[in-house]
Amino acid sequence: MPKIIIVEDDPAIREELALLLENEGYQASVVTEFTGVPEQVLRAAPDLILLDLGLPVRDGMSLCADIRRSSRIPIIFVTSRDSSGDELRALSLGGDDYITKPYNIPVLLARIRAVLRRSGGPAEPDTLEAGNLTLHLTRGTASAGDRSVELTRNELKILAHLMSRTGEIISRADLIDALWDSQIYIDDNTLSVNMTRLRSKLDEIGLPGLIKTRRGMGYQL
Amino acid sequence: MTLREFISDRLDRLLLQAVCAAVAAFFLRATGTQSGVLVILFLALLLFFSGVQLADFLRQRARLRELTAILNGLDEKYLFAECIPSPRNLYERRLFDLTRTAERAMTSAVSDARAAQGEYREYVERWVHEIKAPITAAQLICRELDGEKRRKLTGELARIEEHVERALFYARAENPERDCIIRHTDLSEIAAQAIGNHRTLLIQSGVRVETQGLDCFVYTDGKWAAFILGQLLQNAARYRGEGPVVSISARPLGKQVQLTVADNGIGIPAHELPRVFDRGFTGSNGRARGGSTGMGLYLCKKLAGSLALGLNIASEVDAGTTVTLTFPAKESL
Repeated sequence: MPKIIIVEDDPAIREELALLLENEGYQASVVTEFTGVPEQVLRAAPDLILLDLGLPVRDGMSLCADIRRSSRIPIIFVTSRDSSGDELRALSLGGDDYITKPYNIPVLLARIRAVLRRSGGPAEPDTLEAGNLTLHLTRGTASAGDRSVELTRNELKILAHLMSRTGEIISRADLIDALWDSQIYIDDNTLSVNMTRLRSKLDEIGLPGLIKTRRGMGYQL
Repeated sequence: MTLREFISDRLDRLLLQAVCAAVAAFFLRATGTQSGVLVILFLALLLFFSGVQLADFLRQRARLRELTAILNGLDEKYLFAECIPSPRNLYERRLFDLTRTAERAMTSAVSDARAAQGEYREYVERWVHEIKAPITAAQLICRELDGEKRRKLTGELARIEEHVERALFYARAENPERDCIIRHTDLSEIAAQAIGNHRTLLIQSGVRVETQGLDCFVYTDGKWAAFILGQLLQNAARYRGEGPVVSISARPLGKQVQLTVADNGIGIPAHELPRVFDRGFTGSNGRARGGSTGMGLYLCKKLAGSLALGLNIASEVDAGTTVTLTFPAKESL
Protein backbone atom coordinates (compact mmCIF):
# COMPACT_ATOMS: atom_id res chain seq x y z
CA MET A 1 0.00 0.00 0.00
CA PRO A 2 1.74 3.23 -1.13
CA LYS A 3 2.14 5.77 1.61
CA ILE A 4 1.26 9.38 0.88
CA ILE A 5 1.97 12.32 3.18
CA ILE A 6 -0.13 15.48 2.91
CA VAL A 7 1.47 18.84 3.72
CA GLU A 8 -1.47 21.25 3.66
CA ASP A 9 -2.44 23.95 6.14
CA ASP A 10 -6.19 24.07 5.47
CA PRO A 11 -7.65 21.54 7.95
CA ALA A 12 -10.83 20.85 5.93
CA ILE A 13 -8.89 20.03 2.76
CA ARG A 14 -6.28 18.07 4.68
CA GLU A 15 -8.81 15.80 6.39
CA GLU A 16 -11.01 15.27 3.34
CA LEU A 17 -8.01 14.56 1.15
CA ALA A 18 -6.67 11.98 3.63
CA LEU A 19 -10.11 10.35 3.68
CA LEU A 20 -10.26 10.29 -0.10
CA LEU A 21 -6.80 8.74 -0.42
CA GLU A 22 -7.57 6.09 2.17
CA ASN A 23 -10.76 5.19 0.31
CA GLU A 24 -8.64 4.81 -2.80
CA GLY A 25 -6.39 2.32 -1.05
CA TYR A 26 -3.47 4.50 -0.05
CA GLN A 27 -2.04 4.94 3.39
CA ALA A 28 -2.41 8.65 4.08
CA SER A 29 -0.76 10.70 6.80
CA VAL A 30 -0.92 14.43 7.45
CA VAL A 31 1.43 17.10 8.73
CA THR A 32 -0.26 19.33 11.31
CA GLU A 33 2.76 21.08 12.81
CA PHE A 34 4.56 23.29 10.33
CA THR A 35 7.96 23.65 11.95
CA GLY A 36 10.58 21.19 10.85
CA VAL A 37 8.47 19.85 7.99
CA PRO A 38 11.38 18.31 6.02
CA GLU A 39 12.45 16.27 9.06
CA GLN A 40 8.87 15.12 9.71
CA VAL A 41 8.44 14.12 6.08
CA LEU A 42 11.74 12.24 5.89
CA ARG A 43 11.02 10.44 9.13
CA ALA A 44 7.66 9.27 7.77
CA ALA A 45 9.45 7.93 4.64
CA PRO A 46 6.43 8.15 2.32
CA ASP A 47 6.22 7.04 -1.32
CA LEU A 48 4.78 10.40 -2.34
CA ILE A 49 4.45 13.90 -0.90
CA LEU A 50 1.49 16.19 -1.63
CA LEU A 51 2.85 19.66 -0.93
CA ASP A 52 0.94 22.94 -0.71
CA LEU A 53 2.78 26.15 -1.65
CA GLY A 54 1.31 28.73 0.72
CA LEU A 55 2.17 27.30 4.13
CA PRO A 56 2.76 28.90 7.51
CA VAL A 57 6.37 29.17 8.72
CA ARG A 58 7.95 28.22 5.39
CA ASP A 59 6.86 28.34 1.80
CA GLY A 60 6.34 25.05 -0.07
CA MET A 61 9.02 25.96 -2.62
CA SER A 62 11.76 26.19 0.00
CA LEU A 63 10.51 23.01 1.68
CA CYS A 64 10.76 21.21 -1.65
CA ALA A 65 14.32 22.43 -2.19
CA ASP A 66 15.19 21.28 1.33
CA ILE A 67 13.67 17.81 0.90
CA ARG A 68 15.38 17.43 -2.47
CA ARG A 69 18.77 17.92 -0.89
CA SER A 70 18.52 14.57 0.82
CA SER A 71 15.76 12.61 -0.89
CA ARG A 72 14.26 11.67 -4.25
CA ILE A 73 10.74 11.00 -2.86
CA PRO A 74 8.29 12.16 -5.55
CA ILE A 75 6.62 15.50 -4.78
CA ILE A 76 3.34 16.74 -6.26
CA PHE A 77 2.58 20.39 -5.63
CA VAL A 78 -1.09 21.00 -4.90
CA THR A 79 -1.72 24.73 -4.78
CA SER A 80 -4.10 27.54 -5.58
CA ARG A 81 -1.30 29.59 -7.16
CA ASP A 82 -1.75 28.96 -10.81
CA SER A 83 0.53 31.24 -12.78
CA SER A 84 2.95 29.71 -15.26
CA GLY A 85 5.79 31.33 -13.35
CA ASP A 86 4.95 29.53 -10.10
CA GLU A 87 4.61 26.23 -11.94
CA LEU A 88 7.93 26.62 -13.73
CA ARG A 89 9.70 27.48 -10.50
CA ALA A 90 8.13 24.60 -8.59
CA LEU A 91 9.08 22.06 -11.23
CA SER A 92 12.61 23.41 -11.56
CA LEU A 93 13.06 22.95 -7.78
CA GLY A 94 12.48 19.23 -8.20
CA GLY A 95 8.70 18.88 -8.04
CA ASP A 96 7.35 15.94 -10.07
CA ASP A 97 3.97 17.43 -10.91
CA TYR A 98 1.96 20.58 -10.28
CA ILE A 99 -1.80 20.52 -9.72
CA THR A 100 -3.88 23.62 -9.10
CA LYS A 101 -6.80 23.96 -6.72
CA PRO A 102 -9.66 23.49 -7.02
CA TYR A 103 -8.74 20.22 -8.61
CA ASN A 104 -10.85 17.69 -10.29
CA ILE A 105 -10.75 14.65 -8.00
CA PRO A 106 -10.41 11.96 -10.71
CA VAL A 107 -7.67 14.05 -12.33
CA LEU A 108 -5.81 14.36 -9.02
CA LEU A 109 -5.99 10.58 -8.48
CA ALA A 110 -4.82 9.90 -12.02
CA ARG A 111 -1.81 12.19 -11.59
CA ILE A 112 -0.94 10.54 -8.26
CA ARG A 113 -1.05 7.13 -9.96
CA ALA A 114 1.11 8.39 -12.82
CA VAL A 115 3.78 9.84 -10.53
CA LEU A 116 3.87 6.69 -8.39
CA ARG A 117 4.21 4.58 -11.53
CA ARG A 118 7.07 6.73 -12.84
CA SER A 119 8.88 6.49 -9.55
CA GLY A 120 8.92 2.71 -9.80
CA GLY A 121 5.79 1.78 -7.92
CA PRO A 122 3.90 -1.37 -8.89
CA ALA A 123 3.16 -1.42 -12.60
CA GLU A 124 -0.48 -1.27 -13.65
CA PRO A 125 -1.66 -4.70 -14.75
CA ASP A 126 -1.73 -5.27 -18.47
CA THR A 127 -4.72 -7.59 -18.33
CA LEU A 128 -8.01 -7.51 -16.46
CA GLU A 129 -10.03 -10.63 -15.77
CA ALA A 130 -13.65 -11.21 -14.85
CA GLY A 131 -15.03 -14.71 -15.04
CA ASN A 132 -14.20 -16.11 -18.48
CA LEU A 133 -13.40 -12.72 -19.94
CA THR A 134 -9.84 -11.46 -20.25
CA LEU A 135 -9.13 -7.89 -21.36
CA HIS A 136 -5.69 -7.14 -22.86
CA LEU A 137 -5.21 -3.43 -22.27
CA THR A 138 -2.15 -2.75 -24.43
CA ARG A 139 -3.26 -5.00 -27.30
CA GLY A 140 -6.82 -3.65 -27.13
CA THR A 141 -8.50 -7.04 -27.36
CA ALA A 142 -11.00 -9.02 -25.30
CA SER A 143 -10.92 -12.79 -25.23
CA ALA A 144 -12.87 -15.68 -23.78
CA GLY A 145 -11.48 -19.18 -24.19
CA ASP A 146 -9.88 -19.28 -27.67
CA ARG A 147 -12.07 -16.58 -29.16
CA SER A 148 -10.85 -13.04 -29.29
CA VAL A 149 -12.15 -9.71 -30.61
CA GLU A 150 -10.57 -6.31 -31.22
CA LEU A 151 -12.02 -3.31 -29.39
CA THR A 152 -11.94 0.38 -30.18
CA ARG A 153 -10.40 2.76 -27.62
CA ASN A 154 -13.83 3.79 -26.30
CA GLU A 155 -15.05 0.19 -25.97
CA LEU A 156 -11.83 -0.81 -24.25
CA LYS A 157 -12.16 1.96 -21.64
CA ILE A 158 -15.84 1.21 -21.00
CA LEU A 159 -15.16 -2.48 -20.49
CA ALA A 160 -12.08 -1.82 -18.36
CA HIS A 161 -14.06 0.47 -16.08
CA LEU A 162 -16.87 -2.07 -15.68
CA MET A 163 -14.39 -4.88 -15.06
CA SER A 164 -12.52 -2.90 -12.40
CA ARG A 165 -15.76 -2.74 -10.43
CA THR A 166 -17.25 -6.15 -11.06
CA GLY A 167 -20.61 -6.63 -9.39
CA GLU A 168 -21.19 -2.92 -8.73
CA ILE A 169 -23.94 -1.04 -10.49
CA ILE A 170 -22.35 1.81 -12.39
CA SER A 171 -24.62 4.66 -13.46
CA ARG A 172 -24.37 6.07 -16.96
CA ALA A 173 -23.33 9.42 -15.49
CA ASP A 174 -20.46 7.82 -13.56
CA LEU A 175 -19.42 5.88 -16.62
CA ILE A 176 -19.33 9.05 -18.71
CA ASP A 177 -17.35 10.74 -15.94
CA ALA A 178 -14.81 7.92 -15.95
CA LEU A 179 -14.47 8.05 -19.74
CA TRP A 180 -13.78 11.79 -19.63
CA ASP A 181 -10.87 11.02 -17.29
CA SER A 182 -9.36 8.99 -20.11
CA GLN A 183 -9.87 11.94 -22.50
CA ILE A 184 -12.81 10.30 -24.22
CA TYR A 185 -15.24 13.19 -24.31
CA ILE A 186 -18.53 11.48 -25.14
CA ASP A 187 -22.16 12.26 -24.43
CA ASP A 188 -25.05 10.02 -23.43
CA ASN A 189 -26.04 9.06 -26.99
CA THR A 190 -22.50 8.14 -27.99
CA LEU A 191 -22.25 6.01 -24.88
CA SER A 192 -25.37 4.09 -25.95
CA VAL A 193 -23.93 3.51 -29.42
CA ASN A 194 -20.62 2.30 -27.98
CA MET A 195 -22.42 0.09 -25.50
CA THR A 196 -24.46 -1.59 -28.24
CA ARG A 197 -21.32 -2.26 -30.30
CA LEU A 198 -19.44 -3.56 -27.26
CA ARG A 199 -22.26 -5.95 -26.43
CA SER A 200 -22.42 -7.35 -29.94
CA LYS A 201 -18.62 -7.88 -29.86
CA LEU A 202 -18.92 -9.75 -26.56
CA ASP A 203 -21.70 -11.72 -28.17
CA GLU A 204 -19.23 -12.76 -30.93
CA ILE A 205 -16.83 -14.31 -28.42
CA GLY A 206 -19.63 -16.18 -26.73
CA LEU A 207 -20.44 -13.90 -23.84
CA PRO A 208 -23.95 -12.61 -24.54
CA GLY A 209 -25.62 -10.77 -21.71
CA LEU A 210 -22.37 -10.25 -19.82
CA ILE A 211 -23.12 -6.57 -19.30
CA LYS A 212 -26.49 -6.32 -17.62
CA THR A 213 -28.65 -3.21 -17.81
CA ARG A 214 -30.25 -2.30 -14.50
CA ARG A 215 -33.16 -0.17 -15.55
CA GLY A 216 -32.98 3.35 -14.18
CA MET A 217 -29.73 2.62 -12.34
CA GLY A 218 -26.99 1.77 -14.77
CA TYR A 219 -24.84 -1.15 -15.88
CA GLN A 220 -23.46 -4.12 -14.05
CA LEU A 221 -20.96 -6.76 -15.01
CA MET B 1 2.08 82.26 -33.48
CA THR B 2 1.55 84.36 -36.52
CA LEU B 3 2.47 88.04 -36.97
CA ARG B 4 -1.20 88.98 -37.03
CA GLU B 5 -1.80 87.21 -33.70
CA PHE B 6 1.24 88.95 -32.25
CA ILE B 7 0.03 92.38 -33.40
CA SER B 8 -3.51 91.87 -32.19
CA ASP B 9 -2.07 90.70 -28.86
CA ARG B 10 -0.06 93.95 -28.54
CA LEU B 11 -2.60 96.29 -30.09
CA ASP B 12 -3.09 98.32 -26.90
CA ARG B 13 0.66 98.98 -26.55
CA LEU B 14 1.05 99.89 -30.22
CA LEU B 15 -1.90 102.28 -30.02
CA LEU B 16 -0.40 103.93 -26.92
CA GLN B 17 2.87 104.47 -28.78
CA ALA B 18 0.97 105.99 -31.73
CA VAL B 19 -0.94 108.33 -29.40
CA CYS B 20 2.31 109.37 -27.66
CA ALA B 21 3.94 110.06 -31.03
CA ALA B 22 0.91 112.14 -32.11
CA VAL B 23 0.96 114.18 -28.87
CA ALA B 24 4.75 114.73 -29.20
CA ALA B 25 4.30 115.80 -32.85
CA PHE B 26 1.56 118.26 -31.85
CA PHE B 27 3.75 119.70 -29.06
CA LEU B 28 6.83 120.02 -31.31
CA ARG B 29 4.73 121.64 -34.06
CA ALA B 30 3.27 124.12 -31.56
CA THR B 31 6.73 125.01 -30.30
CA GLY B 32 7.86 125.77 -33.88
CA THR B 33 9.71 122.69 -35.10
CA GLN B 34 9.76 122.58 -38.91
CA SER B 35 7.52 120.00 -40.56
CA GLY B 36 10.46 118.51 -42.55
CA VAL B 37 12.28 117.71 -39.29
CA LEU B 38 9.06 116.26 -37.90
CA VAL B 39 8.66 113.86 -40.85
CA ILE B 40 12.26 112.66 -40.53
CA LEU B 41 11.82 112.23 -36.77
CA PHE B 42 8.54 110.32 -37.31
CA LEU B 43 10.09 107.95 -39.87
CA ALA B 44 13.11 107.27 -37.66
CA LEU B 45 10.82 106.55 -34.71
CA LEU B 46 8.63 104.23 -36.82
CA LEU B 47 11.66 102.30 -38.03
CA PHE B 48 13.03 101.96 -34.50
CA PHE B 49 9.70 100.82 -32.97
CA SER B 50 8.96 98.30 -35.75
CA GLY B 51 12.46 96.87 -35.47
CA VAL B 52 12.08 96.35 -31.74
CA GLN B 53 8.63 94.77 -32.11
CA LEU B 54 9.76 92.49 -34.94
CA ALA B 55 12.74 91.25 -32.92
CA ASP B 56 10.41 90.63 -30.03
CA PHE B 57 8.04 88.68 -32.27
CA LEU B 58 10.84 86.50 -33.65
CA ARG B 59 12.18 85.77 -30.20
CA GLN B 60 8.78 84.79 -28.83
CA ARG B 61 8.02 82.63 -31.82
CA ALA B 62 11.34 80.77 -31.54
CA ARG B 63 10.71 80.23 -27.81
CA LEU B 64 7.24 78.82 -28.41
CA ARG B 65 8.55 76.54 -31.12
CA GLU B 66 11.28 75.28 -28.81
CA LEU B 67 8.75 74.48 -26.05
CA THR B 68 6.37 72.79 -28.50
CA ALA B 69 9.22 70.61 -29.79
CA ILE B 70 10.04 69.55 -26.21
CA LEU B 71 6.41 68.69 -25.54
CA ASN B 72 6.08 66.71 -28.76
CA GLY B 73 9.20 64.75 -27.92
CA LEU B 74 7.72 63.50 -24.64
CA ASP B 75 5.89 60.18 -24.32
CA GLU B 76 4.40 61.21 -21.01
CA LYS B 77 3.18 64.71 -21.85
CA TYR B 78 2.40 65.53 -18.26
CA LEU B 79 6.13 65.49 -17.47
CA PHE B 80 6.52 68.66 -19.61
CA ALA B 81 7.10 70.98 -16.67
CA GLU B 82 10.08 68.86 -15.58
CA CYS B 83 11.72 69.21 -18.97
CA ILE B 84 11.34 72.91 -19.77
CA PRO B 85 14.57 74.92 -20.24
CA SER B 86 15.65 77.51 -17.69
CA PRO B 87 13.52 80.64 -17.71
CA ARG B 88 14.76 83.73 -19.54
CA ASN B 89 13.11 86.34 -17.39
CA LEU B 90 11.19 86.82 -14.19
CA TYR B 91 7.81 86.46 -15.84
CA GLU B 92 8.75 83.12 -17.44
CA ARG B 93 10.25 81.90 -14.19
CA ARG B 94 7.02 82.57 -12.32
CA LEU B 95 4.94 80.91 -15.04
CA PHE B 96 7.18 77.86 -15.09
CA ASP B 97 7.05 77.60 -11.31
CA LEU B 98 3.26 77.63 -11.41
CA THR B 99 3.19 74.93 -14.11
CA ARG B 100 5.63 72.82 -12.17
CA THR B 101 3.60 73.01 -8.97
CA ALA B 102 0.45 72.05 -10.85
CA GLU B 103 2.27 69.16 -12.51
CA ARG B 104 3.62 67.82 -9.24
CA ALA B 105 0.15 67.81 -7.72
CA MET B 106 -1.11 65.93 -10.77
CA THR B 107 1.76 63.40 -10.79
CA SER B 108 1.23 62.56 -7.18
CA ALA B 109 -2.51 62.13 -7.79
CA VAL B 110 -1.72 59.81 -10.71
CA SER B 111 0.78 57.76 -8.74
CA ASP B 112 -1.64 57.48 -5.82
CA ALA B 113 -4.30 56.20 -8.20
CA ARG B 114 -1.83 53.73 -9.72
CA ALA B 115 -0.77 52.45 -6.33
CA ALA B 116 -4.40 52.05 -5.28
CA GLN B 117 -5.15 50.16 -8.48
CA GLY B 118 -2.12 47.92 -7.96
CA GLU B 119 -3.15 47.21 -4.38
CA TYR B 120 -6.67 46.38 -5.48
CA ARG B 121 -5.35 44.04 -8.14
CA GLU B 122 -3.13 42.33 -5.59
CA TYR B 123 -6.08 42.00 -3.25
CA VAL B 124 -8.22 40.44 -5.98
CA GLU B 125 -5.45 37.95 -6.77
CA ARG B 126 -4.97 37.07 -3.14
CA TRP B 127 -8.71 36.79 -2.65
CA VAL B 128 -8.96 34.43 -5.62
CA HIS B 129 -6.28 32.20 -4.10
CA GLU B 130 -8.01 32.25 -0.71
CA ILE B 131 -11.44 31.41 -2.12
CA LYS B 132 -10.00 28.39 -3.88
CA ALA B 133 -9.30 26.64 -0.58
CA PRO B 134 -12.96 26.48 0.54
CA ILE B 135 -14.06 25.56 -3.00
CA THR B 136 -11.58 22.68 -2.97
CA ALA B 137 -12.75 21.57 0.47
CA ALA B 138 -16.40 21.77 -0.63
CA GLN B 139 -15.64 19.64 -3.69
CA LEU B 140 -13.98 17.01 -1.54
CA ILE B 141 -16.90 17.00 0.91
CA CYS B 142 -19.37 16.81 -1.98
CA ARG B 143 -17.96 13.43 -2.93
CA GLU B 144 -19.64 11.87 0.10
CA LEU B 145 -23.14 12.88 -1.05
CA ASP B 146 -25.45 10.67 -3.06
CA GLY B 147 -25.55 10.86 -6.85
CA GLU B 148 -28.13 13.50 -7.72
CA LYS B 149 -27.26 16.00 -4.97
CA ARG B 150 -23.58 15.59 -5.68
CA ARG B 151 -24.07 16.33 -9.35
CA LYS B 152 -26.11 19.45 -8.62
CA LEU B 153 -23.66 20.78 -6.06
CA THR B 154 -20.68 19.99 -8.25
CA GLY B 155 -22.38 21.94 -11.02
CA GLU B 156 -22.86 24.98 -8.76
CA LEU B 157 -19.27 24.78 -7.52
CA ALA B 158 -18.11 24.68 -11.12
CA ARG B 159 -20.06 27.89 -11.77
CA ILE B 160 -18.38 29.59 -8.81
CA GLU B 161 -15.04 28.50 -10.19
CA GLU B 162 -15.81 29.97 -13.59
CA HIS B 163 -16.58 33.36 -12.06
CA VAL B 164 -13.50 33.23 -9.86
CA GLU B 165 -11.27 32.42 -12.84
CA ARG B 166 -12.67 35.34 -14.81
CA ALA B 167 -11.99 37.71 -11.90
CA LEU B 168 -8.43 36.42 -11.68
CA PHE B 169 -7.73 36.82 -15.36
CA TYR B 170 -9.38 40.24 -15.40
CA ALA B 171 -6.86 41.33 -12.76
CA ARG B 172 -4.00 39.64 -14.62
CA ALA B 173 -4.83 41.17 -17.97
CA GLU B 174 -4.11 44.61 -16.49
CA ASN B 175 -0.38 44.00 -16.47
CA PRO B 176 0.36 40.93 -18.50
CA GLU B 177 4.15 41.27 -18.27
CA ARG B 178 4.00 40.03 -14.68
CA ASP B 179 2.23 36.71 -15.19
CA CYS B 180 2.51 35.81 -18.82
CA ILE B 181 5.36 33.48 -19.77
CA ILE B 182 5.51 32.49 -23.42
CA ARG B 183 6.94 29.03 -23.91
CA HIS B 184 7.02 26.14 -26.32
CA THR B 185 3.82 24.42 -25.15
CA ASP B 186 2.02 21.22 -26.08
CA LEU B 187 -1.33 22.18 -27.62
CA SER B 188 -2.95 18.88 -26.61
CA GLU B 189 -2.13 19.66 -22.97
CA ILE B 190 -3.72 23.10 -23.25
CA ALA B 191 -6.85 21.50 -24.70
CA ALA B 192 -6.93 18.75 -22.06
CA GLN B 193 -6.58 21.36 -19.32
CA ALA B 194 -9.37 23.53 -20.71
CA ILE B 195 -11.70 20.56 -21.21
CA GLY B 196 -10.82 19.19 -17.77
CA ASN B 197 -11.56 22.54 -16.11
CA HIS B 198 -15.03 22.68 -17.65
CA ARG B 199 -15.90 19.02 -17.71
CA THR B 200 -18.74 19.36 -15.19
CA LEU B 201 -20.50 21.96 -17.32
CA LEU B 202 -19.81 20.08 -20.55
CA ILE B 203 -20.94 16.69 -19.26
CA GLN B 204 -24.03 18.09 -17.58
CA SER B 205 -24.95 19.95 -20.78
CA GLY B 206 -24.60 16.69 -22.72
CA VAL B 207 -21.87 18.11 -24.96
CA ARG B 208 -19.65 15.78 -26.93
CA VAL B 209 -16.13 17.08 -27.52
CA GLU B 210 -14.16 15.97 -30.53
CA THR B 211 -10.47 16.68 -30.81
CA GLN B 212 -8.34 16.42 -33.89
CA GLY B 213 -4.73 17.14 -34.81
CA LEU B 214 -3.81 18.64 -31.45
CA ASP B 215 -0.46 16.87 -31.27
CA CYS B 216 1.62 19.93 -31.99
CA PHE B 217 3.49 22.65 -30.17
CA VAL B 218 2.71 26.36 -30.01
CA TYR B 219 4.43 29.40 -28.52
CA THR B 220 2.17 30.70 -25.80
CA ASP B 221 1.42 30.80 -22.08
CA GLY B 222 -0.38 27.51 -21.44
CA LYS B 223 -2.52 28.83 -18.57
CA TRP B 224 -3.72 31.85 -20.48
CA ALA B 225 -4.43 29.88 -23.64
CA ALA B 226 -6.34 27.28 -21.58
CA PHE B 227 -8.40 30.09 -20.06
CA ILE B 228 -9.30 31.46 -23.50
CA LEU B 229 -10.17 28.01 -24.80
CA GLY B 230 -12.22 27.42 -21.64
CA GLN B 231 -14.32 30.54 -22.27
CA LEU B 232 -15.07 29.25 -25.77
CA LEU B 233 -16.08 25.84 -24.40
CA GLN B 234 -18.35 27.52 -21.84
CA ASN B 235 -20.05 29.49 -24.60
CA ALA B 236 -20.47 26.34 -26.67
CA ALA B 237 -22.14 24.61 -23.72
CA ARG B 238 -24.30 27.62 -22.75
CA TYR B 239 -25.57 28.43 -26.22
CA ARG B 240 -26.00 24.85 -27.37
CA GLY B 241 -28.61 23.43 -29.70
CA GLU B 242 -29.84 19.88 -30.16
CA GLY B 243 -27.21 17.11 -29.84
CA PRO B 244 -24.40 19.53 -28.99
CA VAL B 245 -20.94 18.80 -30.35
CA VAL B 246 -17.81 20.94 -30.00
CA SER B 247 -14.91 20.12 -32.22
CA ILE B 248 -11.43 21.36 -31.41
CA SER B 249 -8.98 20.95 -34.22
CA ALA B 250 -5.59 22.35 -35.15
CA ARG B 251 -3.62 22.68 -38.35
CA PRO B 252 -0.30 24.29 -39.21
CA LEU B 253 -0.46 27.52 -41.18
CA GLY B 254 3.07 28.20 -42.38
CA LYS B 255 4.99 28.71 -39.16
CA GLN B 256 1.81 29.52 -37.29
CA VAL B 257 -0.71 27.08 -35.86
CA GLN B 258 -4.42 27.59 -36.29
CA LEU B 259 -6.78 26.22 -33.65
CA THR B 260 -10.45 26.03 -34.53
CA VAL B 261 -13.23 25.62 -32.00
CA ALA B 262 -16.50 24.91 -33.78
CA ASP B 263 -19.89 24.19 -32.23
CA ASN B 264 -23.32 23.39 -33.62
CA GLY B 265 -25.09 25.76 -31.24
CA ILE B 266 -27.72 28.45 -31.68
CA GLY B 267 -25.29 30.90 -33.29
CA ILE B 268 -25.00 34.70 -33.10
CA PRO B 269 -27.01 37.12 -35.31
CA ALA B 270 -24.80 38.76 -37.94
CA HIS B 271 -25.45 42.31 -36.73
CA GLU B 272 -24.27 41.43 -33.20
CA LEU B 273 -21.10 39.67 -34.32
CA PRO B 274 -18.89 42.79 -34.53
CA ARG B 275 -19.64 43.63 -30.90
CA VAL B 276 -19.21 40.24 -29.18
CA PHE B 277 -15.71 41.14 -27.99
CA ASP B 278 -16.91 44.39 -26.39
CA ARG B 279 -16.85 44.64 -22.62
CA GLY B 280 -20.23 43.83 -21.10
CA PHE B 281 -21.91 43.02 -24.41
CA THR B 282 -24.42 40.22 -23.85
CA GLY B 283 -26.43 40.23 -27.09
CA SER B 284 -29.88 38.81 -27.69
CA ASN B 285 -28.78 35.25 -26.78
CA GLY B 286 -27.34 36.37 -23.46
CA ARG B 287 -30.46 38.38 -22.63
CA ALA B 288 -32.77 35.53 -23.59
CA ARG B 289 -30.86 33.01 -21.51
CA GLY B 290 -29.83 35.18 -18.58
CA GLY B 291 -26.68 34.71 -16.55
CA SER B 292 -24.45 36.17 -19.23
CA THR B 293 -21.76 38.52 -17.96
CA GLY B 294 -20.48 39.87 -21.25
CA MET B 295 -16.95 39.43 -19.91
CA GLY B 296 -15.81 36.10 -21.37
CA LEU B 297 -15.05 37.08 -24.95
CA TYR B 298 -13.91 40.54 -23.88
CA LEU B 299 -11.25 38.93 -21.69
CA CYS B 300 -10.35 36.51 -24.48
CA LYS B 301 -9.66 39.42 -26.80
CA LYS B 302 -7.63 41.25 -24.19
CA LEU B 303 -5.51 38.23 -23.26
CA ALA B 304 -5.11 37.25 -26.91
CA GLY B 305 -3.57 40.68 -27.50
CA SER B 306 -0.88 40.00 -24.90
CA LEU B 307 -0.17 36.57 -26.39
CA ALA B 308 -0.03 37.92 -29.98
CA LEU B 309 -2.79 35.43 -30.66
CA GLY B 310 -5.12 35.99 -33.60
CA LEU B 311 -8.77 35.71 -32.58
CA ASN B 312 -11.58 35.53 -35.12
CA ILE B 313 -15.20 34.57 -34.89
CA ALA B 314 -17.73 33.48 -37.49
CA SER B 315 -21.28 32.43 -36.78
CA GLU B 316 -24.57 31.57 -38.36
CA VAL B 317 -27.88 31.55 -36.51
CA ASP B 318 -29.14 27.99 -35.84
CA ALA B 319 -26.03 26.49 -37.43
CA GLY B 320 -23.21 27.22 -34.99
CA THR B 321 -20.23 29.36 -34.13
CA THR B 322 -16.61 28.90 -35.15
CA VAL B 323 -13.78 30.65 -33.35
CA THR B 324 -10.30 30.56 -34.81
CA LEU B 325 -7.19 31.11 -32.70
CA THR B 326 -3.98 31.69 -34.62
CA PHE B 327 -0.88 31.02 -32.55
CA PRO B 328 2.09 33.13 -33.63
CA ALA B 329 5.30 31.78 -35.10
CA LYS B 330 8.31 31.95 -32.80
CA GLU B 331 9.98 34.60 -34.96
CA SER B 332 7.16 37.09 -34.56
CA LEU B 333 7.33 37.12 -30.76
